[in-house]
Amino acid sequence: MKKSRHVLILTLLVVALLPLGAIVPAVAQEPVTLRITNWAGVQEAAEFQQIVDEVNANNTEFQIVYEPKPDDYYTQLQTQLAGGTAPDLFWLDQDHMAWAYDGVLLDISEYLANDDRDVANPEDYFPGVWQTVALNDGVFGLPWIAQPVVLYYNRDIFDAMGVEYPTADWTWDDFKAAAEALTTEEHYGFTLNGWPPIHMFIWSFGGEVISEDLKTSPIDTPEAIAGAQFYADMIYNPACCPTQEVLAEEGFAEMFKAGRVAMFMGGAADDLDRVEGLNVGVSPVPKGVNGENVTFAWTAATVINAKTEHPDLAYEALVQLTEGIHHWKIVSPRVSQATVEHLVASEPRKEANAEPILAAVPYMRAFRIVPRFAEWSQIFWEDFQDPLFHGEDTAENLAADARILLEDVLGD
Amino acid sequence: MTGDPGAFATYYPTLLRYVGVAVGLGILMYGLYRLLRLAGVKHEPATGFTLVVPWIVGFLIFVTFPIGLSFYLSFTEYNILWDRPKPLADPLFNYKRALSIRIVELPEGERPIQVLGTMEGETPETVRYREIGRFHWRGKEYVIGATDGYFLKGVWLTLRYAVLSVPLGMVGALGVALLLNQNVKGVGFWRTLYYLPAVLPAAAVALLWYWLFAPSSGLVNWFLSPIYRLLDMQPLGWFTDKSLVLPSFIIMGLWGIFGANTVILLAGLKNIPKDLYEAAAIDGAGTFTKFRHITIPMLSPALFYNLVTNTIAALTIFTQQAFIPTDRQDGWFVNWFIYNEAFNFGRMGYASALGWMLALLVILLTLLIFRSSAAWVFYEGARQEAGGA
Repeated sequence: MKKSRHVLILTLLVVALLPLGAIVPAVAQEPVTLRITNWAGVQEAAEFQQIVDEVNANNTEFQIVYEPKPDDYYTQLQTQLAGGTAPDLFWLDQDHMAWAYDGVLLDISEYLANDDRDVANPEDYFPGVWQTVALNDGVFGLPWIAQPVVLYYNRDIFDAMGVEYPTADWTWDDFKAAAEALTTEEHYGFTLNGWPPIHMFIWSFGGEVISEDLKTSPIDTPEAIAGAQFYADMIYNPACCPTQEVLAEEGFAEMFKAGRVAMFMGGAADDLDRVEGLNVGVSPVPKGVNGENVTFAWTAATVINAKTEHPDLAYEALVQLTEGIHHWKIVSPRVSQATVEHLVASEPRKEANAEPILAAVPYMRAFRIVPRFAEWSQIFWEDFQDPLFHGEDTAENLAADARILLEDVLGD
Repeated sequence: MTGDPGAFATYYPTLLRYVGVAVGLGILMYGLYRLLRLAGVKHEPATGFTLVVPWIVGFLIFVTFPIGLSFYLSFTEYNILWDRPKPLADPLFNYKRALSIRIVELPEGERPIQVLGTMEGETPETVRYREIGRFHWRGKEYVIGATDGYFLKGVWLTLRYAVLSVPLGMVGALGVALLLNQNVKGVGFWRTLYYLPAVLPAAAVALLWYWLFAPSSGLVNWFLSPIYRLLDMQPLGWFTDKSLVLPSFIIMGLWGIFGANTVILLAGLKNIPKDLYEAAAIDGAGTFTKFRHITIPMLSPALFYNLVTNTIAALTIFTQQAFIPTDRQDGWFVNWFIYNEAFNFGRMGYASALGWMLALLVILLTLLIFRSSAAWVFYEGARQEAGGA
């Protein structure tokens, strides 16, 4: 009796599984499923889904399934990559493009060479942005955004203080003088807290933090020291900027929004020019020693998992998605799309400030990505920037010591 | 996503795996049961063994295997993004990297980083000694360098946290348990209330404390604001001021007073026979004497249990720091440090070695507590067996 019951249970289990077996060949005839993930929150994910839907509607060979991961994105993604369950495509910001050196991203350089679409043309991307994907003798993704840092300024404070509005011709000395002139008991001229990155100031003063061949960190050159010292002289200095305590108390960008800071450097897509009750203008950042308004660009790319089972289709999906994103996110990283018309079509609310934003675009630069970039950045912060901002030693001494440590990372 | 034609195609392999695992376990259990019965084991024990099989399989796969793998990885160079670990020329490199210290003379005008040098031997990357301290001896200045001063700083911070927070927490829990042991009206309500913190997720509690300690809008500084005004001082920068990081975490850790700790001590208090107190009262013992000579010894097994579990919890603190960022220079708790090495810097091999060193530290301290128990833990049953009371 008992034996027959066991046989019955096993038979039932097998029967229950039969429909699933039947599904397998049925699914195999469907278009290939490609998975994509990114860090988008609810609103951004809904907008991204629309782009995915448009791509899906125009394809019969593949269909993209979108899996947003708004929390703890990189830990989840690393774990998926290690476990072999990562999606076919995913977003990486420039800081994480160093994963290209670990072999987890697909090199698409051959695909690009055989593709004549504009979105697949490396020449159509701003070089300062393209360098974040052109790594290790390959190309590991397509940039989908390049947000240059621009100077937001509160016109009302400028008018009240009788200071001329910023222009692209301002030098850093003009900028500093204005920041000091705009500082009163009610408001500060400018604000820094580690943002924007000190790299931007070093570049603008003619220095480099990582050399072009990625082998050295010449942060102790007179140019680099000058840029870093300029930053250190302003940050937390109550003659022009809020102290650390005031920032802890009132917030960083919040102070600009509250009319407590006259000038703020933020990303071009930030909404600081649309704060209710504020009359805000936008200008490129001051020009540097070579006469260019060198600025930092926050960039990110869509990349392909090196272990995707469908590299050809994944590449096709990448290209079509990227084209869609370039009509959604500002600023597009492509030269051919650096026009007022394109920017306004992507984000109509930026119409009033489209021109100064586009004036900043040709001079934007992203980080140079090296293997172990996270470790390099941690040392650069802990052993150079942070002690410099707190006056623990001179810029020269700190730079000399930090360079040794940074080049240890680059040299391995 | 709604209306997505590929959604089922994505998830059916997972569904199949789930069913496959269930069927596999079922077959394994059935096979084991038949085997045991064939070997002459009676129905009841055979059923028992069969029913624990899923747990044992889960334990082997999800606990034993990772423990073994991390031990192996600790002797390799491994990034989680790589397909496989790389062997190390010196298998002990990861352990040496964590613990190497060097003391050298610092000639006048030289900077420590120039004289400390790098780790010797075949290392997969350049590992430099960094200054962790200086001292003068016989008219000369010496500098102490470590290959991973941040780890040593983390160990020191974690040990201080454990040594300070565990006794404070236990005294607090004892106080709360004594209060809850009183025959007051609505004691059931109070007991429920004081147990509630135990059911809250640690992440939520960490965020709650982070807000309480916020420099400007936090409740703690709001309560202290009259004192700040009186003394004409700036509000304290909890978690941001280097010197306040540890005290902030300790105060936050006192949250653990409530919940399980208190309940265990309360149960211990309830188990103390009333006649001991009555006999002591007849002999003229006062409240403190009864507490010192009856309550504490009779409660010592519960105190011992709390001491062991709280010490382990304090040494492996993680969640709080994951939600409350502090600077690495000010010290990171060891577990958080390990997590960062593994996932932010891609050094899973090194992180595994650090994990094993932390495990060793926890085991050693736990053994020490166990060894000390003979001197202060009173087991009534043991005394009776030995022909005592």
